[in-house]
Amino acid sequence: MKQQSWSDWVRERDDPRIAHTKREALDDITVLDLSYKSFAGCQCSSLLAEFGAEVLRIEPPEGDFLRICTPYGMLYKGEGLNYITEGRNKFHITLDLSRPEGRKILKGLVTQVDVLIETYRPGTMDEWGIGYEQLKEINPRLIFASITGYGQFGPMSQSQMPDYDNIAQARSGIQSGTGEVMPEDKSYNECPWAVPTKAGPWIAWSVAGTFVAVGILAALYWRGITGEGQALDVASGEAYARLDDYAALWYYDTGIISERFGNLDVCAFLYCFAPTKDGAVFLGGLRLEMWQAFADMVGKWDEWDAASWTSLAPFMQKEEQLKWAPLIFEETRKYTNEELVRMSIEYAQKGRLAPITPVVAPVCSPEEAMKDANWLDRGIFIPTQDPVYGELIVAQAQHKMTESPIRTKWVCRPVGYDNEHIYLKYLGWGPSKLKELKQKGII
Amino acid sequence: MAQETWKNYRENKYFKPSPLKGIRVLEACTILLGPAGPAFLGAMGAEVIKCELPPTGDTVRQMVPFGHSFRDQAPAAVHINTNKYWLGLDLHKPEAQKIFCELAAKSDIVEDNMRPGVMEKWNVGYRQLKEINPSIIYISKNGFGQWGQYAEENRPSNDGAAQAFSGYAWMSSFPGRPPLKSRLYVCDTYGALMGEMAVLAALHYRARTGKGQYIELSQTENIMRTMSWIWPYQQITGKVAMPTGNRDVSICPADTFRCADDTFVAIAAPAPEEFKGLCTAMGKPELAEDPRFKDHLTRLKEKNATALLEIIAAWVRTKRPEEVEESAERHGFAASRVYSSKDVVEDAHFRERGFMTKIDDPVLGPYVEYEFPVMMSESPPKVKWSLRPVGFDNEYIMKYRLGKSEDEIKELYRCGILGKWADIQGCRPPPQWDGKAGIIMARD
Repeated sequence: MKQQSWSDWVRERDDPRIAHTKREALDDITVLDLSYKSFAGCQCSSLLAEFGAEVLRIEPPEGDFLRICTPYGMLYKGEGLNYITEGRNKFHITLDLSRPEGRKILKGLVTQVDVLIETYRPGTMDEWGIGYEQLKEINPRLIFASITGYGQFGPMSQSQMPDYDNIAQARSGIQSGTGEVMPEDKSYNECPWAVPTKAGPWIAWSVAGTFVAVGILAALYWRGITGEGQALDVASGEAYARLDDYAALWYYDTGIISERFGNLDVCAFLYCFAPTKDGAVFLGGLRLEMWQAFADMVGKWDEWDAASWTSLAPFMQKEEQLKWAPLIFEETRKYTNEELVRMSIEYAQKGRLAPITPVVAPVCSPEEAMKDANWLDRGIFIPTQDPVYGELIVAQAQHKMTESPIRTKWVCRPVGYDNEHIYLKYLGWGPSKLKELKQKGII
Repeated sequence: MAQETWKNYRENKYFKPSPLKGIRVLEACTILLGPAGPAFLGAMGAEVIKCELPPTGDTVRQMVPFGHSFRDQAPAAVHINTNKYWLGLDLHKPEAQKIFCELAAKSDIVEDNMRPGVMEKWNVGYRQLKEINPSIIYISKNGFGQWGQYAEENRPSNDGAAQAFSGYAWMSSFPGRPPLKSRLYVCDTYGALMGEMAVLAALHYRARTGKGQYIELSQTENIMRTMSWIWPYQQITGKVAMPTGNRDVSICPADTFRCADDTFVAIAAPAPEEFKGLCTAMGKPELAEDPRFKDHLTRLKEKNATALLEIIAAWVRTKRPEEVEESAERHGFAASRVYSSKDVVEDAHFRERGFMTKIDDPVLGPYVEYEFPVMMSESPPKVKWSLRPVGFDNEYIMKYRLGKSEDEIKELYRCGILGKWADIQGCRPPPQWDGKAGIIMARD
């Protein structure tokens, strides 16, 4: 019998459409997410919730400020669009931690959970009597994770400044090296776009949240061996900076500061965005043969004498990159994105250096990305049918797994939507107690 | 804060265990997306064995900024490969595949970032390894995953392709300008991090059930997850999401501004008390009451946001960046200079926390490195060493992990199953190396 193809075999087992039929990796774990004004916190607990952890998201009675951090002030069914994407699979309850009675209730929950996530300014939780050192007394197995702008210790940890994504991006050293180069004889007034440029998405917050989630899983593993909980400390600027690559070592070794280099690349060749007839493509070829294949693909093998090239090293020099870029762009401008992509795929089959071929990818708008049949087939944009918000598209299924895959069950919940269920389940409180607490403004 | 918990963290962390003690990872990865993941596990205490094709090894060994190498090594390769053992193994050969299987039998995690089907062709794919080790956790990371049109067309990919394909670059540029590629290989390194999220969840699942599993991650799909509001926005409005440069469209005010000395500072002050603080700092407390700016949702509206950011820009143009930072500290909003790589390396706070740390590497010599950014009070992660020449730890791995005899090892070299570095920059040892330092098993 012929063996099933690898791709069919995998798809049969990890297609996101069958994820709900499989077991969940973390459905023995309970998480309290106290994060406030922090997308990092929300994404962190979402990642755990996608794997099946029961996440109790605690907001102050008026709701998290993050709910109104939404593009152009747009609300959908009363909810901000960022919050709605990372509210997934979580139960949302309210509790006023600034009041002693609220803190007492929190302690009642802490004894019953595995993980606590918080994003208050360092010292706040301690002042409230619910810091790590206080809570570990009532739950020594607790994993207590803090996400802040500057961390729990070190000179800046006492800063009064709050944590925001654009601040972390600025602090990381990455924004300064990203952006268009100022054209010669031009000024900032003429070219206000030739400046250090941050990434559009909340990437520093996403990275911080993901590092914390990874740290929490490592801490769970450690707890499995020792039975001990612990405290985790992540600073969002550090988390994002950690993804940076050569820049620190390069500066340390040579004193050179990595500067903006537009859509070329300081540390890689062939590696750029190149203009085309109808937009732009990314061109990549980190091996000499791939660069040669590109030259061949656009008919320049002889003219550029590609056969004589023996190493990529000379092409990495700044001057060489600046010399070659216009020559490359002159060729790519002759074609459409689609033509160049096809040329690359065909070159892998029939080219002189096949199966080696350059990487060619269209530079897409997010609208094109969302309509791309490949990602739709891969289950990234399967609309979630949410009991409150209706059918909504949030990106999901970023990893696919054969045994215990992630899944999105619902996208979000309004403020305090799960008070009844969660307070009954964890504290045995029925409607009359909740009514009393609500009247007092505790929940 | 928890003062006692974090007291002398930097000094004490080497006296404490690492969280992933006892976990072994086998890596067949190149460049960044693949190798960064095992390095994260390595920093958390897992033992990582990295297999490279001798004698030239991982392509990342040639990634040198504008041609600058660090003691003959590629800075990108040093940063991305912390705490690993280095095996030069020619996986094209059946005998080498057998060795890989022997190692997989003794490992918990296997990672690759080849195009779909390549590992299987080499007889070390998941379907083959799970026969040897049913509890193995196996992750493949690449551009397009293991199935679907692009995977089946066997397209190559890398970070820039993912930035392009996802719309991430589109959203990270100034209005009216071409989409901009980040200097950061963000889809690689963030993809690697997210991959480890799944790996560790699978480890938890294995502890509960004894079952291993296969995981696939597409770096393009993964970066889409960070583009939060963009997808429902497009679904709801039917419009394409547009870039806005350094302005954060979901937080107002939040932008990067030019200072009096032509350097840049980022500011954010969206919450009521933060915004009031900023208005006071600017000497315009009345702005907080202005109907255009009275609450966050109102401020976020295009016209109001633009007007407000212009007012702030004019104020910052008269200030030095330190003045803006001091003002933020005093009035409780957020501000930071746009740090250069120099600022990051020299920052006293990063150093005090041990985030920016000095490594004393027996092969590479001293250098600076970023610590793993999750500080853990009882089981702290720590970066200890990095890049080695191709095949540097062959003897150690063959002897310590597989128990091979001297004769067997000799034979493996003779047949080209095992190999060491080519005499090429990036693959060979640093010129300062004494021929012995760092070698574990046989120095003479």
